[in-house]
Amino acid sequence: MLRLAVSNLIQNKTRLLVSVGGVGLALTLVLFFGAVFTGAQGRMTVYIDNAGADVWVSQAGVRTMHMSESTLPATITAEVAAVPGVDGVVSILYTEGMLQAGGREYIIYVFGVPDDAPFGGPWRVVNGAPKPGPGEIIIDHAIAAQAGLELGDEVTVLGQRLSVAGLMSGTSSVASSVSFISHDDFARVRGGGDVVSYVLVSIVPEETAAAVADRVAQQVDGVTVQTRQQFAAQERALVKDMMADIINIMNTAGYLTGLAVVALTVYIATMARRREYGVLKAMGVRNGKLYQVVVWQALICVALGLALGLAITLVLSAVIPRFNELLVLSVSPASVFRVALVSVLLAGLAALLPARQLAGLEPVAITRRG
Amino acid sequence: MYLALRNLLQDKLRLILSMIGVALSVTLILLLLGLRAGALRSAVIYLENTPGSVAVMPPGARSTGAGLGQFISPETANAVASTQGVARVTPVLLMLAIPDLHERKEVIRLIGYDTALGGGPWDLAQGREPRADDEVVLDRVLADRHNFKVGDTLDLAGRQLKVVGLSNETSSWTGSSTFARKQLVESLLLAPGAASLLLVTPDEEISFSELVERLRDLPNTNVLLKSQVMANDRQIIANIFDQVIFLMVAAAFIVGALVVGMVIYTATIERRGEYGILKAIGARSGVLYRVVGIQALVSAGLGALLGIAFGFAAGWLVMTARPQFNVLLEPSAIVATLVAGLVMALLGAMIPARAVARLAPADVFRR
Repeated sequence: MLRLAVSNLIQNKTRLLVSVGGVGLALTLVLFFGAVFTGAQGRMTVYIDNAGADVWVSQAGVRTMHMSESTLPATITAEVAAVPGVDGVVSILYTEGMLQAGGREYIIYVFGVPDDAPFGGPWRVVNGAPKPGPGEIIIDHAIAAQAGLELGDEVTVLGQRLSVAGLMSGTSSVASSVSFISHDDFARVRGGGDVVSYVLVSIVPEETAAAVADRVAQQVDGVTVQTRQQFAAQERALVKDMMADIINIMNTAGYLTGLAVVALTVYIATMARRREYGVLKAMGVRNGKLYQVVVWQALICVALGLALGLAITLVLSAVIPRFNELLVLSVSPASVFRVALVSVLLAGLAALLPARQLAGLEPVAITRRG
Repeated sequence: MYLALRNLLQDKLRLILSMIGVALSVTLILLLLGLRAGALRSAVIYLENTPGSVAVMPPGARSTGAGLGQFISPETANAVASTQGVARVTPVLLMLAIPDLHERKEVIRLIGYDTALGGGPWDLAQGREPRADDEVVLDRVLADRHNFKVGDTLDLAGRQLKVVGLSNETSSWTGSSTFARKQLVESLLLAPGAASLLLVTPDEEISFSELVERLRDLPNTNVLLKSQVMANDRQIIANIFDQVIFLMVAAAFIVGALVVGMVIYTATIERRGEYGILKAIGARSGVLYRVVGIQALVSAGLGALLGIAFGFAAGWLVMTARPQFNVLLEPSAIVATLVAGLVMALLGAMIPARAVARLAPADVFRR
């Protein structure tokens, strides 16, 4: 039956190519959107992962960094530092802001880290100064490339003209990227009192992050305390919760389009060979066997389409960042597995229509017509 | 024309399937453009419904998304209010918060405003505006999704806030608006008297541009027309969306063209004998191309029309099932998808046209 299915499909190679292309592109839509999401999610926690803090202290009720605002009185830093088990503390200022350059605006996460901070500052600086001085900014090189900026060029951030002093790599995503300005510059433009956004805590070697986090939460009022892992998990959950519905909508649209293409292909291939099916029926081949042929055709079509879709997505994931470094694409094995699973269901559904046509075939009538 | 229609209608189920294939591609394009338009609309609906035509913002800030970490001082606000030609100043303090509601993170844009000066909810579905510093007006869609009612308590940024009203038109999948007295947001941001932006209504004796010039003399501000701020807000959303959406629209478009191509190709190949005879009795290739082209146009045209209907249905379905999504099907998007349908037809007709062109009449008879 598999051989018959293959021969039915390849009887017209142009049609097979077109249908595999159609299914492949429909599944590309699903895989591509998933890759954008996975890429963005991976970059969302890039500062938390690289800041070097074991424990994060934020305003009470604030558990995230992205799209969040945490405001703590500056005096809280000393309170946290005094908790047993705390090795070092760094208080940072943070906001989401706009970088204006070349007539365009780019969303950036702006961090103000004290100059003498032992951790929490820029990392993976690929060009220029390792830390921003007064009137300086360190930005991601993807933003610099897109805006045509070089070291020494001026940009406007938080209303200040700042000189690009360094370029980092690996912090950009479709929505934003990380940048650092001097703590004093940040505090001056923010206004509104002596405050900090987050307190980053490193712990002594003999302690665990969870134990120190509990202790800070008990001894300092008005704060939410999380370990690095908890904080990063909260960030990932935010992206997931924000994107879950839109991803479901896009996936449904992509799958339905794929389903229509597979159904059309298998239907056309089956109808083109209806005379042969009629002969098989007249020879006593049961409907069940004929259904198998149709299902095999659908499965082959979907499998080839999936392979093509995956190949296109992988090529896009490799090529797009070369032209637009902000769009980070990451194809996860989990999403490929999910799409493959749904594709098998699609094949089953797509085979229903031609299977019904086969069931209605009258062997004698067909042979007479032929 | 008759031959083209007969060819198409020889297998009605195939025609229907192809129409559905094209329709789904068109629907996907329309839905993507609708989601984009809805997100752009949601980005500016607050400013659209807030008094004032001139926006005074912190230095460098050009959009409401920017400058969230910057404030206008109370002194600057007073200086703006006492500028000649200013009839009314509406100060607004914005803050983003991410509460966990039913184990799901929700993005809330907390808008602090002065009830006497405006800037609050413009369409209250239920309840009243906040009168105390622990009261809020919640977005109705967010409230429905998490079973909040007037009188319930919302835990936001470590505060217990009483829901006193529900507002319409304030939801978006990127976050929903919650309104509170400005003093509450000031206390959360530890920024007494601060504002994120001042919306200024000019008096009748002064032109917008004159007032803008006058306000630009004030230090530590960036003065823009409100319409410019709205355009900037839209642009920021568009910059994020467009990187992804236009690639997906292109993929959906190619799928549609391939579906048309596959169907017309099959219909053409099935009738290649007849086409060969037509060629043999002197029909020019142009006539046959026309037959193929008409089939493609009819198939893609019907599919595109069906897709537009599906698009409206999908938009309605999405907004009913997930009311936080605003799917806005603009006439320009509908025209664009119709044009896309026609281009799909032309591209789709290329494969079968090649097959017809290659037909040798003698070969057909020999076969």
